[in-house]
Amino acid sequence: MSDYKIKSGAWAIMVRSLVQIVRRPLMWVAMIGLPVFLILFVTSMLETGLPTKIPAAIVDRDGTSLSRSVTQSLGSMQMVDLKLQANSFSEAKHAMQEGKIYGYFLIPENFESDLLAGRSPEISFYTNMVYYVPGTLLFKTFKSTAVYTKAGVAADVANALGQNPAQLAPLMQPVNIVSRPIGNPLLNYGIYLGNSFVPCCMQLMIMLTVCFALGQEIKYHTSVRLMRMARGSIFRAVYAKLLPQTIIWWVIIMFMTAWLFKFCGYTMSGSWGWLILSELLFVLASQGFALFVFCVIPNLRFSLSICALTGILSFSIAAFSFPEESMYPAMSIFSYLMPIRYNFLIYSDIALNGRDIFFSRMWFVAYIAYIIAPLTMLWKLKRNMLHPVYIP
Amino acid sequence: MLMKKFKSFILGLVNVYCREFKLVTHDIGIMLFLLFLPLAYPIIYSLIYNPELVKNVPLVVVDNDRTPLSRELVRNIDACDEARVLGYAADLPEAKKAMDSHKAFAILEIPDGFAKKIGRSEQGNAVLYSDMTLLLRFRGFLMATTNVMMEMGSELMTKDINLVAPLAETIAVEDPLPMNYIPMGNIRSGFDSFIMPGVLILILHQCIVLAIGMAGGARRESRYLVGYNPHNNMKSVAGTMLGQILCYITILVIPMIFLIHYVPLMFRFPMAGSLAEEMVYLLPMVLGAFGIGYVFQAFVTERESVFVSWVVTSVMFLLLSGLIWPHYDMIGIWRYLADALPSTWGVTGFIKIASNGATISQISGEFESLWIVSLVWLLLGYLTQRFVVYPSIYGRKSDAKKRATVAEI
Repeated sequence: MSDYKIKSGAWAIMVRSLVQIVRRPLMWVAMIGLPVFLILFVTSMLETGLPTKIPAAIVDRDGTSLSRSVTQSLGSMQMVDLKLQANSFSEAKHAMQEGKIYGYFLIPENFESDLLAGRSPEISFYTNMVYYVPGTLLFKTFKSTAVYTKAGVAADVANALGQNPAQLAPLMQPVNIVSRPIGNPLLNYGIYLGNSFVPCCMQLMIMLTVCFALGQEIKYHTSVRLMRMARGSIFRAVYAKLLPQTIIWWVIIMFMTAWLFKFCGYTMSGSWGWLILSELLFVLASQGFALFVFCVIPNLRFSLSICALTGILSFSIAAFSFPEESMYPAMSIFSYLMPIRYNFLIYSDIALNGRDIFFSRMWFVAYIAYIIAPLTMLWKLKRNMLHPVYIP
Repeated sequence: MLMKKFKSFILGLVNVYCREFKLVTHDIGIMLFLLFLPLAYPIIYSLIYNPELVKNVPLVVVDNDRTPLSRELVRNIDACDEARVLGYAADLPEAKKAMDSHKAFAILEIPDGFAKKIGRSEQGNAVLYSDMTLLLRFRGFLMATTNVMMEMGSELMTKDINLVAPLAETIAVEDPLPMNYIPMGNIRSGFDSFIMPGVLILILHQCIVLAIGMAGGARRESRYLVGYNPHNNMKSVAGTMLGQILCYITILVIPMIFLIHYVPLMFRFPMAGSLAEEMVYLLPMVLGAFGIGYVFQAFVTERESVFVSWVVTSVMFLLLSGLIWPHYDMIGIWRYLADALPSTWGVTGFIKIASNGATISQISGEFESLWIVSLVWLLLGYLTQRFVVYPSIYGRKSDAKKRATVAEI
């Protein structure tokens, strides 16, 4: 470091930080390329909402008009594509093992005659639960086909006994519980997965870029110069260094919000103002989390490892798919450790359920805590910035 | 002459292999990817989902009917494994408040006249308003209500059918058409057993790409910064790659066995296949991952940049693997991309062997595709090394001899 006078002050650091971003193609990839790609990728992947026409098979061991009509009604279901008419159980099972079908429906031998004679033949259906979504959807379709078949048989019997089948119909299902899925009536998988996965990707990238930018200063020993530019104030050095990143991330996250709720049309039934505030604070909170990690461990590779580990674990520990209350208690406390958890809860409250901000107030407080937390550890970062040590 | 050439090739290969061992074991970053990642990560991940099933999700009841039948309905739902009745609310707004303050995740509203309707042989309708933040909670409610509907239905039918059709008792006393549902592969329908087998393979894939990427980054940096001389070459580029791959595979054998055998054993994931078959099947995927790693090296100029540019792709690999979204239903461009990745074939094939009990001969189509895709990636890796990475490190006109000597310093 030479002794000539260098430009100092927050503004000079910001300009320097921006130049560093612009000059490194890696930063373009990390801050614009990958985030935009992931936003478009995840949403377009889940565009159709739910998979339809799931390949399935029917094993008709009976071959009567009744079993054929079951086959027909199954084949006409929207969810099912009867790819295979298997002759035996093992043929269908092998097809499932090979991945050609996701489930099969078995009509036993002597089905029609046993049914009409009251010998209670058994209908079986098998779905491949290794694939959760198609497996569950297929199960629902198979089950309703079986129920319809049963109702049809009962109506036939009533008819034979000289009763009006219409009279019998409510008796087949006297208690009916209609489900009303709030905010996602069509069970759109995009609404469910897109709103959690996409911000979680953003959190990961935000955290990594913070650690990377700060770690570079220490790796190349430019942190001493940075501290001189900040006239010895670690607070000025850090906020001016990270502010250009923050602004870029704000733009990206606004694009994400617009893309999800406007372009993809995901449910947005609450206040836009609070949602946008939440997204903006989310960027700061993620940066705060990473900054805290970096203050505690001012080592480029180690802090990046921690952020990568926690960032990827967030996809499961933040409970987007498996509810936090069902996890082991020892695991579920970690759920509240990541900023994305609060982003997800606020999204659920405001966008999906249209709740009043009152119910999400604590999540906003959490954001603030993430922003304040690193301030308590800046002293350690200052020491390492002034005496940078690079550990490969 | 040919014999001599072959001999020197083998000698060079052994040299590269041994030296790579020394390099890798001296780089904590790479060791972390090769050992910590496959050993610790799957355990943390599996522990998160290990309870497998979602049970006792709370719901609130608004009972406007207040009859023995409506109370029976609520009792039956409460008795289900999936749901738990938190309590009664006086009206919908009060119930909504419970949901808003995150105490309950659904409201069951039983309308006035529910029991009366059923008594008149009409259908009694109740409504379940469910929170849709998590699909698994909704799935639980759906299971519970369907079961209760069926159970109460057949009970009531047995009781009342004689009033409508005296002889129809025959169809009601005994279930005329029993149904039998068998979940296959993942027999408990658990979430851990569904997602983890695929994730294990992706962990293996990512740890290879990250390690190779980091090793490539080290070669472009000053050896004083890295702390060791990262260069390790023989005359032939392909030979160097082969030596390195063999070295990494040697290190990875134990983590790999741990990943595909012991993790499923510990957490009781489906284990229908044999370890030997799984290892044979995964070999080409491992090679393909090395290929991707070698291509990736072209973009890595610094050891640590692998974190920033590669870690997030795991999400993409997971979505493309067909585990969450079925492969046949992907839109064109993503299906082609999925087909071009060794990880997709690796995950699908492994799941078929480990969870569904298929044999390699049953999935020979996948096995062939996996080999082809992996060999193409290895070839791309070679071309990237030969024409992009080497020239950028050693200069455009460097000869093989000079490269080889760099390593010996």
